[in-house]
Parts: sequence; C-alpha cells; structure tokens
Amino acid sequence: MAVIFEAKHIVKKFNGVPALSDGNLLCHSGRITGLLGANGSGKSTISKCITGVYHKNSGTMTYMGREVDFKSPMEAKRAGIAMAFQNLSLLPELTVWQNIVMGFETRKGLFLDDKDAKATAKRILDEFVPEFDYHRTVEELSPSEMQIVEIVKAISQQPKMLILDEPTAALEQSEVKSLFKYMRLLAQRGVGMVFTSHRMWEVMEICDDVIVFKNGQVVGSIDFDKEEKNADTIIQMITGEKKIVSVPRIYKSIPEDYFMKIENLNYNKILHNITMNIKKGEIVGIGGLSGQGQEELLLAIAGNYADIKSDINVNGQKERLNSPNKAIEKGILLIPGDRQRQGLMMDKSIYENVILPKVALKKEPFIIPKKRYMEECIETNQILSINSDSIACFVSGLSGGNAQKVVMGKWLHVDMSLLILSDPAKGVDVGAKKDMYDFVKKLVDERGISVLLYASANEELIDNCDRVLVMHEGRIVGELKGKEITDETLVELSMKGSLTRREARDNV
Amino acid sequence: MYNKKGGFSMPAFFKKTEFITIVIFLIMLSVVAAMQGNFFKLSTLQNTIISWTPLILLTMGQSIVIISGGLDMSSGNALSFMLCILSATMHEENPMSGWIALLLCIIAMIGIGLINGLAVGFFKLPPIIATFATSYMWLGAALFIMPSPGGECVNWMRAFFKFSSVDNMPKMLKYIGGIVPTGVFLIILACLIWYVVSRTKLGRYIYAVGSNRNIAYDNGVKTAKIQIIAYLLNSLFVMFAALFMVGQNQSGSARIGDPLTLKCIASAVVAGVALTGGRGNVFVSIVGAAIISLVSKLIFFSNISSDYQTVVSGLILLIAVASSSIINAVKSAWAKREVYSDE
Repeated sequence: MAVIFEAKHIVKKFNGVPALSDGNLLCHSGRITGLLGANGSGKSTISKCITGVYHKNSGTMTYMGREVDFKSPMEAKRAGIAMAFQNLSLLPELTVWQNIVMGFETRKGLFLDDKDAKATAKRILDEFVPEFDYHRTVEELSPSEMQIVEIVKAISQQPKMLILDEPTAALEQSEVKSLFKYMRLLAQRGVGMVFTSHRMWEVMEICDDVIVFKNGQVVGSIDFDKEEKNADTIIQMITGEKKIVSVPRIYKSIPEDYFMKIENLNYNKILHNITMNIKKGEIVGIGGLSGQGQEELLLAIAGNYADIKSDINVNGQKERLNSPNKAIEKGILLIPGDRQRQGLMMDKSIYENVILPKVALKKEPFIIPKKRYMEECIETNQILSINSDSIACFVSGLSGGNAQKVVMGKWLHVDMSLLILSDPAKGVDVGAKKDMYDFVKKLVDERGISVLLYASANEELIDNCDRVLVMHEGRIVGELKGKEITDETLVELSMKGSLTRREARDNV
Repeated sequence: MYNKKGGFSMPAFFKKTEFITIVIFLIMLSVVAAMQGNFFKLSTLQNTIISWTPLILLTMGQSIVIISGGLDMSSGNALSFMLCILSATMHEENPMSGWIALLLCIIAMIGIGLINGLAVGFFKLPPIIATFATSYMWLGAALFIMPSPGGECVNWMRAFFKFSSVDNMPKMLKYIGGIVPTGVFLIILACLIWYVVSRTKLGRYIYAVGSNRNIAYDNGVKTAKIQIIAYLLNSLFVMFAALFMVGQNQSGSARIGDPLTLKCIASAVVAGVALTGGRGNVFVSIVGAAIISLVSKLIFFSNISSDYQTVVSGLILLIAVASSSIINAVKSAWAKREVYSDE
C-alpha cells in the first residue's frame, strides 16, 4: 500500500512543557490506522499538529511526497487532509447541509448553488446513514447525530486522508456499526484513515494496524496483517511497565456506617443506574477512562442537575439533591475540576472567593459579619499556606496549585460531611498536589468526613483511595478495594469494561 | 419549513417563531383597523406607511447586524447625523447642492459602517458598549453641524419622499408618486439587496459568524470582514431612512433619530431575531417594526387616559417581546423531550 502521509519526530510544547516529544505516524492509502494511548499521551496533539490546529515545534511531515506544514485546518482540508473533531466544529444555528459545505460553498452565477450543496450532503449521508433529515438545524440534533454530521462534513471534500478523533464516543452501538461499514467503503476507495478510540473492541474490529502513544512518545506499533490481534498486548503497551507507588493509603477496615446510599441514579443519557454507597471516613475513588460520566456523577451528587432521577439517602434520610445549595446545607461540598470556570471568580480577591459559599447559607446572618469572616479567611490562608501577601490579592494572580487551595479554602469553615473532588490535581504541580492530598487525608482522619475523588491519573486513586469504582459509559462496571487497587487492575477494568460490555451486547 | 423529503409543509411553518410574529401583527392590525374605521382609506394607508418607513429600514439594518452577532446602539443617532449633513449642505435654490449633500452623506454612511464594524469585528469590542460610544460621536457631530433644527432640501431630493412632490417629474412617475410613497420602493430596494446578499456566501457567513464566531473562524470564514460588511449594510439602510426623512421634513434635527434606536432593536426581537446572533429573518423583521409601530396607534385609538399611555405601551411591548421568547422556550423544552423520550 502506498504511503500518503508520514510524520517524523514531531515535537510540540505548550508553555515549554512537551505534550508530544517524539510523535511518529504513518498513514497508508486504503488502510485504517488506530491511534491508541491513555489520556494526555499525545495522540490528540499529533492529530492536531497534522491538521494545522497546533503548530509543531520541530519534526517533519510529508504528504504525497512533499513536505507540508499546514497553518489552519482549512488549509489542510483543501490539500486533502480532513479531521472530524471530538469537540465539534459545527455551527448550531445553521442547517445540516449548510454546515456540511461550510467554507466550500459552490456558486451558480451570482448566487450560492444550494441544490448542489444539498446533493452533496445527501449523497454522503445516504451512504452513511440513509434517511437522515438534513434540513434540520444542528442545534435540533442529538449529540450522536451531531457527531455523524461532523464526520460527514470532514468527508464532504473527498479527502485522501481522514483523521477521526474519538468519533465513536458519542455514537450509539448501531451507529458505530454503520460508521465502520462506511469506513471500510472509504478504505476501498483508497482513503487513508487515522482512528482514535478508547474502546478496545472497536480498535480490534476496524483497524489494520495500531500505533501506541505514551507520555508524548510512540512506544510501539502493531501491524495486524503480520502479528496477531491481542487486546492484552495492546493494553500492556498502553499502560507500560509497573509504576513505583509513592505513599499508599494504609488500608484499614471502616465500620459499616453509611453517610450516603445511592440507588438507581439516572441522568439523561449520561448516567445509568448508578448504585453506590459511601461510608463515613472513607475515601472513595471513581476511575475509568476519561469522559465516561465520572464528572457528571460528581456534579449530580453535588446537586447540579435539577431534573435528576434518583433515590439518594443521606444519613438515613431520603433527599432530592436538585440544587447545589441543598447539597451544601447537607455538607456535600464540591471542588470542581475546571476551577477557572466553575470553582473561582478569577477577578475577585481571595477573601471574596473564600466567603462566597458562607454568604449563601441560611443559618449565616443576613448582614455579612465582615470581621469574623476576615479572621476565618486569614486562618484558612495560614492553614493551607496559600502563598500570598494578603487575602486581598486577586485569584487570577495565583499559581494553579494555590488557586486550587483557595477552592478548598472555601469549604473549611462550612460544615463538611462529604468532600467531592473532581480531578483536583489537573494543572497542579507535584508539591502542591502532595500538600493537597495530605490535607484531605488529614481532614478525613480528624473530622471523620467522607471523600469522593475522581482523578484522571490513576496514581492519585492508588495512593489515596480506600475503594475505587470504575465507570464505563455512565455505568459502574467494577469495584476495587484496598490492595487490589493497582495501575494494572484499574486499566484492565476500564479497558475490559468495553470488551465485556461488547460481548454482552453480542450475546443478546 | 421543510419536511423530510424537502418539500414545503405547513405544520412545520406553524411552529416557527416567524409565524407567531405574523399572527400577532394580523391581530393587532385588525384591532386597529376596527378602531380607526378609515384605516384602509388610501390617504390613511399612505400616512401609515410614511410614518413606519424609517423604523422599518432601521430595523432591517439592525436585524442584519444582530444576526451577525453584533448590535447597533448607534443607528438612531447615525440617522440624525446623516439627516443633518443632508439638510445643512443643501440650499433650496441650488439643485447642485443636492448632489454634494448626497456625496457627503454616502461618505458619512461608509465611515459610520466602517467605524462600528472595525470596533466590533476587528478590535472585538463588545458591540453594545462600542456602538453606544460611537452613538455619542454621531450625536456630537450632528449637534456640531446643526445645533438647532433647521436646514433645507432641494426640490429633486424630495423624490426620496414622494415622486409627486418634485416639480418637473415625468407625468407617469408623478401619478405613481401620488399613490405610493417612495418609502415603499426604498423598503423594496433594501429587501432586494438583502435577498441578493442572503443568497451569496456573504449571507451564509453572516449567519455563521453570528452563530459562533470562533467556530466560523476555524471554518475559514473571515469573521472581521463579515462583521464589517454587516455594519456597512446596516448603515446603508440607515442612509435610505435619512434620505426619506429629509425629503419628508425638508429639514434636519440632531435629536430626531435617537428614540428609534431601541425601538428598532425591540422590533427585531419581536420578529424573532435572537440577540445571541445567528438566528432570525430580515424580511420578517419588517413585520416586527410594524408591530412596534402599531402599539402607539393602538394606545391612541383605545381612549386610554394619557396618564397611563406610556405604561400601557411599555406593557404591550413587553408582552410582544415575551411571546416570541416564550414560544422559543416551549419549543426547546419540547425538542429536549423528543431527544430523551426513549428513556
């Protein structure tokens, strides 16, 4: 098979930190190459470097025998390299067919040739998902339909190379099947494809060869024509060798004293039949591949979804947690993952951020007791050693680790029963990360609170949790306790979650 | 508006916000017509259209800007500014001064559109503040030219008001002018311009930029250029209104346009043009302007004590604006239900 694209030794740094240190990729005409790796391993970064979303720091890219470096996705698309983005590139108010031809509208005389545009949209849609109503606006579509339109849009200009960045994440099972059927059709026509997915069975089914990324490097590749398809070998390659675990939490049995019991929690199409318990004084981890509903589960428990369907028992009493205020009154406190958008008011002082949750509590006085709050805030500042001159300085000027401490500081003087941490170490340096987890563990030991922790890095779960629940596609697929929690078991469970679910489906 | 096969289907059209706008208009129109009695008399219709024309033209321009993701808080004062330029430059006894006035007005029109467009499209300033600031520039300039109302209008320029007002018009045109005010032709011209624009890439991209500027940019749309052109189109339509008004009043005033600014934004919103951008129909916005104009007529004929007139007109306005928002909210709630109904 002819090579149409080759990337060699691509390096991409963000603020001096390499996200991709040695990216290599080979794309053949008519072949589907799987791009695998954990989150942050660099597989998305290389895709975006190829299509001109990011600009590489060094390395070479050769396309059809010529060296290329695209400045924008449009330039790449004109040259014949199209990408279907995971965070879609569709305009919500425009119709499906208008989106599909966006940027490539044909003219007939003075006016746009809408007939031609509709014909193009219909031709591709019919091959892929027949009977698709392309006169609707994109905002009227379901998430999976949007993903389909995104893929069709990428295909519309007949690319020679097609990059699909986790296209199946938002798709239904049957839609994945028709996508694969269509991908095989495209492969027959000589289109080279790069396919990213976290679901092992999909990779096994559709890919001709795979390239595995880890920590910004290619750690291996397997050609299925020459070597046998073995999911375990690939999983091993993705996780790499065993890691040295720093200070694991000493496992001790916790009395059967439940703080919270959740039965059959459902939310839209994101969470399905979640049933779980949290004991008092327990640190429960939520693991799995990213985007399997973990963050939504935490938000749901923290009362962020008004129309949630669930039976939640807090301290033996049935509660409907449908507003954050209700959750806070019960001592359920959330430290959100995206602190810049969800956790902090960046252009306000530390003081204003720290007192905010108190102001909203019913039992606090109506007129703000400024002196008392000031004292509490200064105390918080000392306890957490938020490294700053005064509590009047703006949060926007703090480092990531210190900003995260402010988010935690908000809750220190509020009654706390359950602390929910959503990927708290994201963008936090190593020292601050250790401080933060030590502090959380101290809180658990001293105050007897419970903690629910979601972390995208498995080490954090291994080091800090008494128990880990692994999620896949909005369901809890497994549970690990104490010493069972290791990198291998976590990855195995989250990857095999997809394998077993698939087998279960096929047996139906 | 289309069913699955692509053909026209009425039920889908009924669900559209535009349909509600037209229904509200028809209801209000019939109420006013019943109250006024002689509403459909030729002279009454002529006067009605004359009084509506400036707002309709401003609303059409405003709608284009709002659809492109902007807002123009300065269109009323821009109207005053152009009006003052026209009436201050012209001398009734010198027909040539009309051409100079027209030229100056076109220069001002391009300048206004460019400054607004650059501020919003190129410098990415928040439209509401940027155009609020420029509105004072236009007002100040208008007051500088014409501190107190006055000015003149050459006879031929009155053709922009009524063909019959011009002395040596051909008989045929004079006859037409006796029946149809030029405002109708200006509105038709504005419609034609928008029709052509909306059928080209430019029109598609105006919606795209308003829908999401960043995504549109990623799709290769030159967003700054598109927004500048949207503001230029707006300022062209404002110029139409200025030409019409100078022919009508034969004088200018720096204060005449300002009340129209918020009225034309309200008209656009009533017609279902979303302030968030990317959504709306410029043709239907004409109906929105008519609704807002009918509100004051309705008050006038309903014998409400003048003490309450302002309150009541505000209330009617609120209901009119709310109706399209409520319809949209119900629609999106319904759409959500359909998406998740299989659970």
